[in-house]
This record gives sequence, structure tokens and C-alpha cells, in this order.
Amino acid sequence: MATVIAPLPPVQIPADSELDHSDPAGIRLGFPFRIELLGRLGLDTQFGTVWLGTWGLLSVMLGGMAALVYVWAGLTLTGGDMWTFIREFANVQLLPPNGLGAAPSLAEGGFWQIEMLLLAFSTICWAGRCYERLVRYSWRPYLLFAWLSAMLLTATIFVFRPLLMGTWSEAPALGWLGDLDWAQNFSVLWGNLYYNPWHMLAIFFLFGSTMLWGMHGATILATAAEGSHHEAAEIKDMHSGSHKAMLFWRWTMAWNANPKTIHDWIWWYSVGVVLASAIGIISTGTVTTDWYVWGVDHGIVEQYGPMSRDKINLLPNAKPLDLTVVGLPAPPNTTAGANAAQGAAK
Amino acid sequence: MLEFESAYRKPGNTLLGLLFGRDPFDFWAGRLYVGLWGAVSVGAAFLGTIYLFLAVGQYGDWDLWRANIHAPFRAFGLHPAPFDQGGAWQIVVACATVAFIAWALREVDICRKLEMGFHVPIMFSLAISAWVVLQIIRPIWMGCWCEGFDLSFTGHLTWVSNTGFRYMNFYLNPFHALGVLGFFTTAMILAMHGSAILGIYNTDKDPVTEEANADNFWRDYVGYSIGEYGIHFLGFWLAVFTLVVSDLCILLSGTVFTDWVQFWQWHLPWISQ
Repeated sequence: MATVIAPLPPVQIPADSELDHSDPAGIRLGFPFRIELLGRLGLDTQFGTVWLGTWGLLSVMLGGMAALVYVWAGLTLTGGDMWTFIREFANVQLLPPNGLGAAPSLAEGGFWQIEMLLLAFSTICWAGRCYERLVRYSWRPYLLFAWLSAMLLTATIFVFRPLLMGTWSEAPALGWLGDLDWAQNFSVLWGNLYYNPWHMLAIFFLFGSTMLWGMHGATILATAAEGSHHEAAEIKDMHSGSHKAMLFWRWTMAWNANPKTIHDWIWWYSVGVVLASAIGIISTGTVTTDWYVWGVDHGIVEQYGPMSRDKINLLPNAKPLDLTVVGLPAPPNTTAGANAAQGAAK
Repeated sequence: MLEFESAYRKPGNTLLGLLFGRDPFDFWAGRLYVGLWGAVSVGAAFLGTIYLFLAVGQYGDWDLWRANIHAPFRAFGLHPAPFDQGGAWQIVVACATVAFIAWALREVDICRKLEMGFHVPIMFSLAISAWVVLQIIRPIWMGCWCEGFDLSFTGHLTWVSNTGFRYMNFYLNPFHALGVLGFFTTAMILAMHGSAILGIYNTDKDPVTEEANADNFWRDYVGYSIGEYGIHFLGFWLAVFTLVVSDLCILLSGTVFTDWVQFWQWHLPWISQ
């Protein structure tokens, strides 16, 4: 069988000595041990070792500090009683402060700001770890861009949108129920997120990702007896397992991917989740304050009953960034902005 | 036809052939395998589509986003409804269910022809189970076809929104939480797997060496590599998990539990409040 995919230019593999020893924390931790039971399922049995590395060390230290600060904050908020903290663990929430400045006290947003700084730098350091391992193994940087996409969504929720809205309190609280409450309230406050087209697209990709795992995972398991799970080898030179995997879908739905392109599909579907989500989040409260009204205005949803365009000012104390200085219209969430937007709509 | 395809296109080994010794539907139409179940599936889908267009025509809103086949009104309970008051929905749902199940059986036929495992039809059956739970099992349990969702683009979004609020706060439904966890985890694992394969294919190294290196990469990066078979095993079972808890999430809402906020208002008896 001929090569299916036109090969990319070969990548250079650096010698072990070139990179490993330039990193002062370049050691592998632990010793490999095996859990043989996993082998019964066809899973790899070896655990460890794990690469330490400067970026990994920093990332884990910052993440560990964030966990300690969370315990400190939780204990403070529950009156210093460890038992109360444990019992109320799901209800403990570190709330973000009002406005864009530093929080007036630890309990009024200071804990949240400390946590956000630690977690932000921990996440960035993990991207550094991802990058240096990709370089070491000469992988194409897909994994780094997937991680950066996830970081983009997190930064949009916790940083970019609060900056645009003029208050950190637009970001979710940190806590077990904090993100659930935020998700529920966010949808209700901004006129039902289901009619946000980017939210629709994000759910399409999210459900699509699960569907693609169902399809790809099932196809490979069904043909693994003939070696279709050796995917890098099958991309270079296909055998009967991949033939069957391709023919199954061709006969079923008149179209098929191949061992390489299925991974293009799954990569873009999973990255599409966070990219579409980021656009949906950043446009909520900025481009429109009510997605249901937006949906009716754009003819995508029935008007089920009386509909008010008088948006209450949800954030009376917020001072949004003045976007007019860079040539953008004022965000419509201020009273003046909302009136101007309504005037323009009429 | 793909260049290797003719070697795999063999007659026989279908479910119908197994039962009756011969199978008049055992042929291909272009790229597609037909088979008895393909004929049943396409027939049911064709019938359902005709009724779908008739129903949309009755309401007169042909917009792709808003066109709506309304679920039956509450007054009809589990009885047949007049065509313009939910009867169309009942016919379309019945046709769609037949089409889906026949499609799964057609996949079984194709698996038998290719002598491969039945993982795809099993997974597809679980996807069908979500449809059956939402549109048939739960409405029957609740005693009314009106519990099904409207067949419409934004109409079914409205149904999801209303259903969430009807049981107070769907985010506090533990099976909903597990379902969301499953969806996001599958997306994350999918990105990791796609990145790994796209990162290592067609280099100047031997692909077997490259795959062994991939194991070392994941051990370095997160301390464990599940392996090239294992990652598909994990993805398959994560998708199964997600579908099963999603089924439970909606099946228990309104039938067993009617208030997911109240659901959590308990405490262990030996803990004083």
C-alpha cells in the first residue's frame, strides 16, 4: 500500500544531551512502577517517571500555593473552624471584588485576586512546560495550541470580559458551586444564553467532540485486532484494520476520513469548543445585553409573549473601559450606552 | 471505489441472510451499502420528512431557525393527537425512531460484512437511547406526550431552557453535573489525542519508534501514558459514560425528583446544623 499522505519535511531530532542538561530542574522524578491489572483492559501498565523541569516545578508550586490559599480563605470565611470548612466545602465561594481596582480586604475579593494571580501564572508556566517538552520530542506544536486555546477561554471569562465590563465581579466566584451559580446567573442576566449563536456553536462542538470520540474510539476498538490503533504507522502505510475502518464509514454514510484526517477533525472539534465559547462569552453584555431580544430581532426565535426592551442597569457601579478612544462605540451596558443603542435600533 | 475496496465488497453475511438464507437487499448503491435495514431506514426517514414538511406547512413559518413541529398539547395525554395539534409530532417521532434503529442494524450488517467488532452500532445505540429517553420513555413515565421536545432549531433550545428552570436549577442535578464533566473531559482527551497523532505522523523516524517516543512524552508530561490502544478505549468508555449519565439526568427529572435545589437540602443525622 502506497503512502496515503504527502509527507511533511522531516523534523530534526535533537540529541538527548542538547536539551536535558541545560535545565537545572531537568530530572525525572520517581521510579517507574506497574499496575498489571490495567493491562487486562489493554491499557499501558507503567506509571512514571515524570519530568520535573523548571516550568513544571514553577507551575506545580504556584498551583500548590493556590490550593493552600484556598484552604486559608475557606477557613477565614467559615470562622476558622476546620470542621465547618469541610462540611460547607461545596458552599465556600471566594467572590471577586467590585470594580477593577485592588480589593478592599481579603474577604471582599482579596482572596479571589490572590488566587487568580497564582492560577494564571501556574497555567502560563504549564504552557511553558508543554512547549519545552514538545521541543524536546520534536512534536509539531498542536498540543501547545490546544492548551493556549483553553487558556484563551479561561482568560476571556476571568480577565478580558471583566475588563470590558468594568468590574471583576463579572467573573465567576471560585468554589464548588461558584462556577455553577455563575453559569446559571450569567444566562439569566443576559437574556438566555441558548439564543447566543456562539453558545450554540460551542455546544455543537462540545457534543460533537463526544460524538467523535464515540465514532473514532468505537471504530479503532472494532478494528484493533488488525492493528488500526498503530495510527502513526497506519498513516505511513495502511493495512487491513484501517481499510475496514475507512470502508465502514464509507458504506455507512457515503464519506470517510482516513487515519490522518480523522485527527484533524477531532483536533478542530475540541479546539472549536473553547474558541466558540470565548467569542460567545466576550460578546455577552458587550455586543448585546439580551440574547433573547437579539434572537427575536434577528428572526431566529419566535416571540413567545410580551418582550421588554427596557434593560435594567445590572451593574450600576461598573466603570467600563472607554472604548471610544480606540474608535469603538461605547458598550451598551451603561445607562447612557443602552439608551444610545436603543435610539440607534429605532 | 477506493483502490483496495473491491477486495472487501463481498456478498452475504447479513442479518437477513442469516435468518432466511438469502437477502435481496444485499447490494451497494454507489458508495453506500443498502441492505434491508438501509431500505427500512431510508423509507422511514422519507415518510417522516414528508410529514415534517406537511406539518411545517400548516404553521406556515418556513424559516429554518424557527420552523417548528410542536409536541402534542397537554390535553391529549398519551393518546393520539389531531395532526395540527401534535399528531404530526407523534408521526415524525415514530418515523425518526424507526429510522434510527434501522440505521443501527444496518451498521451491524456492515460490521458483519467487514468482520470487525460491533463497537460502532453499540455506541450509536446509546446515542439513540438519548432520543428514546427524551421523546418516548420519559413522556410515557410522565403520562403525556407533551413532555417531549418540539422538533425545531430554536424551539428545542427553548424546551431545554424551560425544562432546566422547571426543576428549579438544573446545574444542581448531579447527573447533569456528571454529564457536563463527561462532555468537557471527552473534548479535552480528544484534543490531547489529536495533538499527539498530528504531532508525530510522517517524520523521518520509524513510526514504531515515534509511537514509543509518544509514550515517553506523556510520561514526562503528566506521569502516565495510556497507550495507543488505551486512548481509544478511554475515549470510547468516556463517551459511553457521558451518554448514560445524560440519559439518567433527564429521565429522573420530573419523574423521581422535581426540585434539584431541594434535592440537596439534607444533612447527615449525626451532624448538628
